[in-house]
Amino acid sequence: MTERGGGRNGSGGDDRYSATDSTERRDTEGTTGEEAMAEAIGAGSPEDVGQSTRAASDSIQQTVGADRAESGSYTFPAFDDHHPPEKELIDDCVHCGFCLPTCPTYVLFGEEMDSPRGRIYLMNKGLTEEPMNDEMVRHWDLCLGCMACVTACPSGVQYDKLIEATRGQVERRYERRADDKAFREMIFQFFPYPNRLRAVAAPMRLYQRFGIGDKLRRAGVMQRVPARMRAMEALLPDLPKEEKIPDLTGPVGERRRRVGVLTGCVQRVFFSPVNAATVRVLAAEGCEVVAPKQGCCGALSTHAGREEESLDFARKTIDTFEDLDLDNVVVNAAGCGSTMKEYGYLLRDDPEYAERAKAFSAKVRDVSEFLQELGPVAERNPLPVTAAYHDACHLAHAQGIRRQPRQTLKQIPGMEVKEIREAEVCCGSAGIYNMVEPEPAAELGERKANNILNTGAQMIVTSNPGCMLQIQSSLKKMGHGGLPMAHPMEVLDASLRGVPVETLLDK
Amino acid sequence: MQTQNIPTEELQGIVGEEHVREAAAEDAVDGVEPSFVVEPGTVEETSEVMKLATREGLAVSPRGGGTKMGLGNPPREVDIILSTARMDGIIEHVPGDQIVRVQTGLRLRDLQENLAESDQMLGVDPPEEGATVGGIVAANSSGPRRLRYGTVRDLIIGIKVVLADGTVAKAGGKVVKNVAGYDLSKLFTGSLGTLGVIAEANFRLHPIRETARTVFVEVDDHEKIADVVQELTHSSLSQFVLDALEMRWEGGRGVIAALFEGIEPAVEAQSSAATEVLRSHGEMSVLGEDDGKAFWEHFARRPWEAGDVGLKIGAPPSELTAVLASVLGAAERTGARVSLSGHAGTGVTFAGLSGGEAGLVEVVEEVREIRLPRGGSVVVQEAPLTVKERLDVWGTGGDYLGLTRRVKEKFDPGYTMNPGRFLGGI
Amino acid sequence: MDREQLIETMQEILGPEGVIHKHEELRTYECDGLMNYRVIPDLVVLPESAEQVQQIVKTCYDEGIPFVARGSGTGLSGGALPIESGVLIVLTRLRRILEVDIPNGRVVVEPGVINVWVSQEVADEGYYYAPDPASQIVSSIGGNLAENSGGVHCLKYGFTTNHVMGAEVVLPDGSVVHIGGGKAPDAPGYELLGAFVGSEGTLGIATKITLRILRQPEDVRTLLAAFKDTEEAGGAVSGIIGGGIVPAAIEMMDALTIEAVEKQISPGFPEAGAILIVELDGPEAEVEHQFEHVIRVCEENDASEIRVAEDDEERALFWKGRKAAFGAMGSISSDYYVQDGVVPRTELGAVLKKISDLSEEYGLRVANVFHAGDGNLHPLVLYDNDAPGEAEKAEELAGEIVFACLEHGGSLTGEHGIGRDKMKYMPQMFTTDDMDVMQLLRCAFDPHRICNPGKIFPTPRLCGERPGPFHMHPVQKAGLAENF
Repeated sequence: MTERGGGRNGSGGDDRYSATDSTERRDTEGTTGEEAMAEAIGAGSPEDVGQSTRAASDSIQQTVGADRAESGSYTFPAFDDHHPPEKELIDDCVHCGFCLPTCPTYVLFGEEMDSPRGRIYLMNKGLTEEPMNDEMVRHWDLCLGCMACVTACPSGVQYDKLIEATRGQVERRYERRADDKAFREMIFQFFPYPNRLRAVAAPMRLYQRFGIGDKLRRAGVMQRVPARMRAMEALLPDLPKEEKIPDLTGPVGERRRRVGVLTGCVQRVFFSPVNAATVRVLAAEGCEVVAPKQGCCGALSTHAGREEESLDFARKTIDTFEDLDLDNVVVNAAGCGSTMKEYGYLLRDDPEYAERAKAFSAKVRDVSEFLQELGPVAERNPLPVTAAYHDACHLAHAQGIRRQPRQTLKQIPGMEVKEIREAEVCCGSAGIYNMVEPEPAAELGERKANNILNTGAQMIVTSNPGCMLQIQSSLKKMGHGGLPMAHPMEVLDASLRGVPVETLLDK
Repeated sequence: MQTQNIPTEELQGIVGEEHVREAAAEDAVDGVEPSFVVEPGTVEETSEVMKLATREGLAVSPRGGGTKMGLGNPPREVDIILSTARMDGIIEHVPGDQIVRVQTGLRLRDLQENLAESDQMLGVDPPEEGATVGGIVAANSSGPRRLRYGTVRDLIIGIKVVLADGTVAKAGGKVVKNVAGYDLSKLFTGSLGTLGVIAEANFRLHPIRETARTVFVEVDDHEKIADVVQELTHSSLSQFVLDALEMRWEGGRGVIAALFEGIEPAVEAQSSAATEVLRSHGEMSVLGEDDGKAFWEHFARRPWEAGDVGLKIGAPPSELTAVLASVLGAAERTGARVSLSGHAGTGVTFAGLSGGEAGLVEVVEEVREIRLPRGGSVVVQEAPLTVKERLDVWGTGGDYLGLTRRVKEKFDPGYTMNPGRFLGGI
Repeated sequence: MDREQLIETMQEILGPEGVIHKHEELRTYECDGLMNYRVIPDLVVLPESAEQVQQIVKTCYDEGIPFVARGSGTGLSGGALPIESGVLIVLTRLRRILEVDIPNGRVVVEPGVINVWVSQEVADEGYYYAPDPASQIVSSIGGNLAENSGGVHCLKYGFTTNHVMGAEVVLPDGSVVHIGGGKAPDAPGYELLGAFVGSEGTLGIATKITLRILRQPEDVRTLLAAFKDTEEAGGAVSGIIGGGIVPAAIEMMDALTIEAVEKQISPGFPEAGAILIVELDGPEAEVEHQFEHVIRVCEENDASEIRVAEDDEERALFWKGRKAAFGAMGSISSDYYVQDGVVPRTELGAVLKKISDLSEEYGLRVANVFHAGDGNLHPLVLYDNDAPGEAEKAEELAGEIVFACLEHGGSLTGEHGIGRDKMKYMPQMFTTDDMDVMQLLRCAFDPHRICNPGKIFPTPRLCGERPGPFHMHPVQKAGLAENF
């Protein structure tokens, strides 16, 4: 993950305040009025201004007080000595509130405890006087970890580090209610293990083929299934046959780089065509692509505060890739790339891995970031289509990468990229959030889906499997399940192979 | 009206013998004759006079230039006219800060002349001659340039008042940006002398604009007026470009006039643009600076004479046609003659009615019946006493009368100041 | 009514999701944007409609429970600081834009609507809402109303009070009034609206607010000029305004501020003793002419560099650098205390010198960023909370700065309000009589003193008796009643 403090203009990474950044977002649907207004307040572009009124005016639903999974657990002091949220980082917060309008939970609930400012306040109180109990944990749990607040904060508060440290503490020092605990365990028994996911995928295909879900819904049975299970069910994507990628793929033409690719967990089981497309694109741009046998990068675990588990995955991932003589490790899932860039920080206490992790992280690139750095050489064939580009939080906010995916798309002749209103507000996927907090996730998903539909684009492009699942599910609920979605690499791949645009839109 | 034994000697002791005189017929306020006219020379003297008045239970009516003494209902009683004529100095003028501090007995005209020497002005241009600064604050007087500069409440930044019991208090200050304490300057604006005597006032100033252009168009249908106004308001020539946007309707003919002030190239461009907008609506003329001055002197005056009934109607600017229609319709039905003018850009319309008294009263009642349910106000600003006896001059459907009364009773519990003239008979 | 009953009553009005009563959650509301004062409220309620606000206030009135209204909680004077054993009424869920009336240039909003949303709503029609405090992406209209917020454009366009046309207000006794004309001008009676705006939530709660919107200006030009020091820059300011120009905005930042902003945001500002950002807007011909004058004045005052914003991005960058100044202080100091004083513009030079002397005397750095056009200063006293005694020194220094402002004919506060923070300075600016008379207003609105008590005035005034000579009631004077 790119460092927040100094070094804003680091090479390869994106400077989120650079004028060119906003240029790239400037080909927008925003009217001159909106732009003038945004400029009037010194915002880089209309998207920097925070959520739009229409959406805010409509959704005054909030779920405060509803479905609290309270366990009565009480621990004092709230935090132990192992990586508590750092006082120094907390003190960076001057309580100005600029993070509030960009925080999805504050947008939904309108209450201080569910805003970054409020959560930091709770952390501070936990450090000094308050115990860890249901109230504290509730509001930390409700945080999506989208890091829109990091982008918005004028004081440079590293909220990402704070929430990760806090989640680790919660895992250790808060006793969850039995059903809550069980549900979370179940998620982590499956999602980081592609083989197990695959095993479940087969019966899921049958489930879908026979329309079981719809039958259950029509029979009214679905209503009686607990909210979280319903949420999971709704997230089920339509499953294609899995495309395998070879261990080694040679470059087209001269070899410019030798790179490894992360195949991911959800990505490889449910979105294998994305991986296949990624490899083809990299090869077409002159890369020798290595796809070793690999496991989970640990992103979901890291973001959930499951420290030991996440460090374990991190070490294994480093082991997998480090001796392969790679120039870079390329990642096509935003959440994964973000965590892998953090390995240096995560493993800072491990003498055996600290240096290796730093070296490893330095090589990690998001695929769009990588391609722009490398410079395109392969010929792009036209794809006349309008696409709405959705910024995944872990790409835009966590890694500061906004310009490169858009550039990647705009380099395809005929392609028109539409900006989505409220781009900086999370779609509600947020790792496992849409499974453990289905209500707010559903509201956010609906909001995002509406904003997308309002662009009038023919398809949606986004760089994260989690976002894909969430947006697809929301659109389906609204009766627009047919709107095509693709990863930037799938789009670029189609262009490089001269595939007609209809194929893309048939997805 | 000699209902009290007023301690004349004591009054003379406070302000000096030559500054207490017996009231004459022309000092009457809506037919109520006071006993004395007192002219204090300082804030301290004013305070002493008020203490005396409160002690003796006298009713006091402050007066500046005396141009708006007819505003409001006839007073329940008036014992003393407190004239600010002697307190007419400029306390401080700092051109570099664009502020001025004055004693309220200073005539507006004199103030503007003085400020003009530094190329500055106070952005208030009421048509009445002879008004004092205190008067325009108390009456919230305004003229055509309110479109650009706002009204008195937007320009006043500080105030010093003397309450009925003699307490002297100030609020605000001499800086434009100031949020310390409550904004009493605003509270006293338009208070018509019912909360206390306004002794000093501070204002923010504006630079005098280099030159001007006036563009006006004639129409023969009153419904066209609103169209023209709306078109100008929503063009690029709107607020902060247009300095005034006014209308008049007399004898079946209407004129809409726009004023542009600024540097030569700017006003030239703006008047050209306005010409384009207005051309299609009727016969148009453009005037330069000097001709414009003469034009506005005539155009900005109120459409009524002494003896007429003069109405001030407040309504959303978009409802101008409806306002005109209601007045013209009512006048036609009762046979009253009517002339109209107004700050079309801000939604203020003036109606001057003449004719048989019964008919005039009917017109007012009818217009109120139509307009008040839609919000806004219909206030009688000018009327013969006999008409005032048949009508409440204040016409508003608001729900804040109780609050208004509470405010009055805090500042002037004894109802010393102008009793009976204000809203709700306060 | 005890606390349990109060919670129940409130839950009946609002539903459980509208009442916050658990300890840790209450703590997140214990301060607003000013962290120096903290009070844990007894209860926090989040109404969703004007009717609910009314019911809450009525309950408080009937039970004699004090209450404080809060918007986004970004105020810098402690105006939304809760009262112990009182109710905090948070208005963030009243966030609908109720009506957009372009023909009359008006918008009606609920108090929780964020400032910038108003401009967003009408931008497509070519309009905008002028008052633009630096906090505008998060501060609420209700809060702007309470503090009479300004912003960088207020020299030319005025403050919130010049753009609020009407308000529906819930008075502290639970009744509702509509003050100001709303869409109609010149409402008869007292300027109750004018007195209400800027009253810092002590007179009632506004539940619907009618705002004026303006057409976007035809042309906007912005420049940045670098000077050797604030004195030179100040000379330029005087020259610009002295030339009869009222710029849309004219802001100044000193060397320390520039350093912090460069560190945190890197807008690429030139290294200088002081920077001026001047913005002109209006009809093209006018702007063109004025701009030339401004450039000339800057040159005459030995500007080391003059940068004209070439396009919208550059302009946005200039403003970003200015508006993020407070937040950026975090990068050069662990803590800071922001002051808000006003001085007449002609006194700016002298006061800045005084501040610099004070800074040396106290051994604490002071960064200056301010609205040069209207003399509203924001000195940022930088200190380290962990260094013993420094926090107290910083507060003392901030106080000295305030006195300097008053000494030079200025005011205690230009935008942030008195709140709790500046109460102690009120006697320096106003006499007892002044404050007593102001409080008469408060007595008229809030005789039971339950509406945000303990703010603005250091000595609360009893509303019942007015000391002073006896005065006869008019009814008695008319001989219709006897005194008893």
